[in-house]
Amino acid sequence: MDAEAQESFREFVANRSSALLKTAVLLSGGDRHAGEDLLQNALIKAAGRWHRIDEPEAYVRQVLYRQQVSRWRLKWPRRELSVAEPPETSAAPDASGAAELRLVMRGALARLTARQRTVLVLRYFEDLPEAEVARILGCSVGTVRSATHRSLARLRALAPELAALGPAAAEQRPSHDYSPVEVRQ
Amino acid sequence: MNVDELVRDALRDQADGQPPAAPGFADRVLAVRRRRRSRRLASAAAAAAAVVAVAVAVPMLDSGKQDVRPSGGVEQTGVTARPDQSPPRDLIAAGRVALAAYFTRSIVEQSADRAVSRRTYWLLNPKTNKYVKDDRWSYVAVAPGMTTAAVLERDLPVPRIGLLDLASGQVKRWIPVDRPVAGVEFSTDGRKLVATTYSKNPDRRVKIDGSEGWDAPFMQSDRTGFHVIDVASGSSSWAGVEIGGGAHNPEVFINSRQDFAFTRDGRLVWSGMPTEPGEKFYDFTGKEVPAPELERYRDWSVDAGVSPDGQLVAGPFAGQKWKTSSFVLDARTGKQREVRGQQLLAWADGNSLVAWDIGPDGNEYHQRLVLVSIGGEKTTPLSDFRSPKDNTEGRWEPVFAER
Repeated sequence: MDAEAQESFREFVANRSSALLKTAVLLSGGDRHAGEDLLQNALIKAAGRWHRIDEPEAYVRQVLYRQQVSRWRLKWPRRELSVAEPPETSAAPDASGAAELRLVMRGALARLTARQRTVLVLRYFEDLPEAEVARILGCSVGTVRSATHRSLARLRALAPELAALGPAAAEQRPSHDYSPVEVRQ
Repeated sequence: MNVDELVRDALRDQADGQPPAAPGFADRVLAVRRRRRSRRLASAAAAAAAVVAVAVAVPMLDSGKQDVRPSGGVEQTGVTARPDQSPPRDLIAAGRVALAAYFTRSIVEQSADRAVSRRTYWLLNPKTNKYVKDDRWSYVAVAPGMTTAAVLERDLPVPRIGLLDLASGQVKRWIPVDRPVAGVEFSTDGRKLVATTYSKNPDRRVKIDGSEGWDAPFMQSDRTGFHVIDVASGSSSWAGVEIGGGAHNPEVFINSRQDFAFTRDGRLVWSGMPTEPGEKFYDFTGKEVPAPELERYRDWSVDAGVSPDGQLVAGPFAGQKWKTSSFVLDARTGKQREVRGQQLLAWADGNSLVAWDIGPDGNEYHQRLVLVSIGGEKTTPLSDFRSPKDNTEGRWEPVFAER
C-alpha cells in the first residue's frame, strides 16, 4: 500500500467507519468489541486490495456479512455472545411498553446464531430484497427465504413475549427450502 | 405490530445507540495488518530490528571469500545454498551476508497466568561452518565478520552483555550495564552496541481474554531507553526514551519488545512502532530527531532495511506482479519496484536480497530462504522449507550478518 492509497484508506475509514461499525455490532449480536473485531478484519482485507476495489463500502459490507456467516460455518464458539439473563426469565412487558419489547427483542437477537442474525440484519436493518441478500451471501433466494422464516420462528421460541405480535410477511408464506445457508467462498 | 417490524425497530434502536468509531481506527487497522502480514507478534518485533542492524550494509565489502565455504554446498556466484536443509546444518550464505545463526521459540509456562517466549539459538561455528545449538542465551546479535557475538543470559532483563567468541564458544569479556537490558544490536562497523533497556522481561506472555494461547501483553511495554556502548572500551551512556502513550494518548503504543538499532551510518538510533509514524529516530541523548534523508522509507517490519550503497530500501509485501512479492523503494524518492520474495530479510549485494518465499503448495507460512534479484524473474532456493507450525523446532528464524 503506497502513501496515496493509505491516505485514501484513512479518509474512507474516517468517513464510513461509524456507519459500518453499527452494522458490525448488530451482526455481532450487540457485542461492541466483537463488532470492532469484525470490522477491523474486514478493513484489513479491504486494505490488502485497495487499488482494485471500485466501491469500498459495498466491498467492506459484503466481507462483513460473509465473514460473519463463515464464522458460523467454522463453529467458532467464542464468537457467540453469552447473555447473562436469558430472555425467558423476564416478565411479560406491558402492551404499551414498546421500549421494553425492543429490549426483549434485542436479547433474543443476541441469542440467534450468527447466520440467523446476519439474514435478519440484511433483510430488516439494511432493508435489502431477498435476491440481493442471496447475492451478498452467495446462496439461493430459497435459502434466504427459509433462513428468514426459521430465524423469526427462533425469535418467537426464545422470547414468548413476542407471541402477541402478528406474523411477518416472511412467516405467512410457506417455505420449501430448509437447506442450511451455504456460502460460496 | 408484526414481528418483523419489531425486529426492524430493535435493530435500528440498537444501531442508533452505538457511539462512533474511535479516532485513529484506520491507523489501528493498518498497524494490525502490517503485523499480521509479517506474522510477527510482539516478541518478533525485536528480531526485525535486530537483523536490520547487522544486515544493513557497508559498501565495497569483499563478498568472494572462497575459503569459508565448505565443500558440498551448491555454489554459484558467491552463493552457498542448502536447499535440502531445514533447519540448516551447514553454512548458508549469499553475497555479502551469511546466515550467522538461527533460533526457535518455545513457550515456557511459569504459572497459570504467566509464561515467557524463550529463544533457543544455533550459532554458526566459523571453524566448522556448522550451526551448533547453544542454549545459554536469551538473545544473540552477531557482529559483522561473524567471529564475535553479543549475548544476553537467561531471565531477561540482564545486567551484563557478553562478547562471545564464536569459534571457542567462550565469553571473552563481560560488559556490565547499570540498567538492565533485553535486546542488543551492533552498528554496521561492529564498533558500537545499542542495548535496549527494559524494566520487565519483554518476552513475557500472558493470557488475554478470548484467546486460547499465550499472547504478548497488548499495547503494553516496559521499555525505558537504551545504552550506546563502545565495544573496545566497554564505556557506555544511557538515554531514557518515553513511549508517549498512556491513558491520555491511547493511540500511541509500542510492542512489548520493541528494540532500538543504529541507523546505517551509526550516528543515530531508531525504533519501530505499530502506529504512525511507524519509525522514530533519536540521537544518543534520547532526543527525537527527523529521519535521515536516506532512511525515511525504512519500514521496521522489513528486516532487510537499507541497501549496501544506501540507495534503496527494502519495503513491505506487494503481491501485485507475482503472488508473493515485495516492494523495493528508491531511498530518495520512495518510488517502488516489485521484486520476488514474500518477506525481504537481508541484502546480498546492491541488487539482490535474501527473502522468505513460499513454494508450490501456496501455504503462506510454509517458506524457504531464497535469493531474489531486482529485475529478475527467478529465485534461487537457499534452504529447505520451514514448518508452518509456531513454537516448534521446525519454525526457525534467521539471524544474518555480514561475512
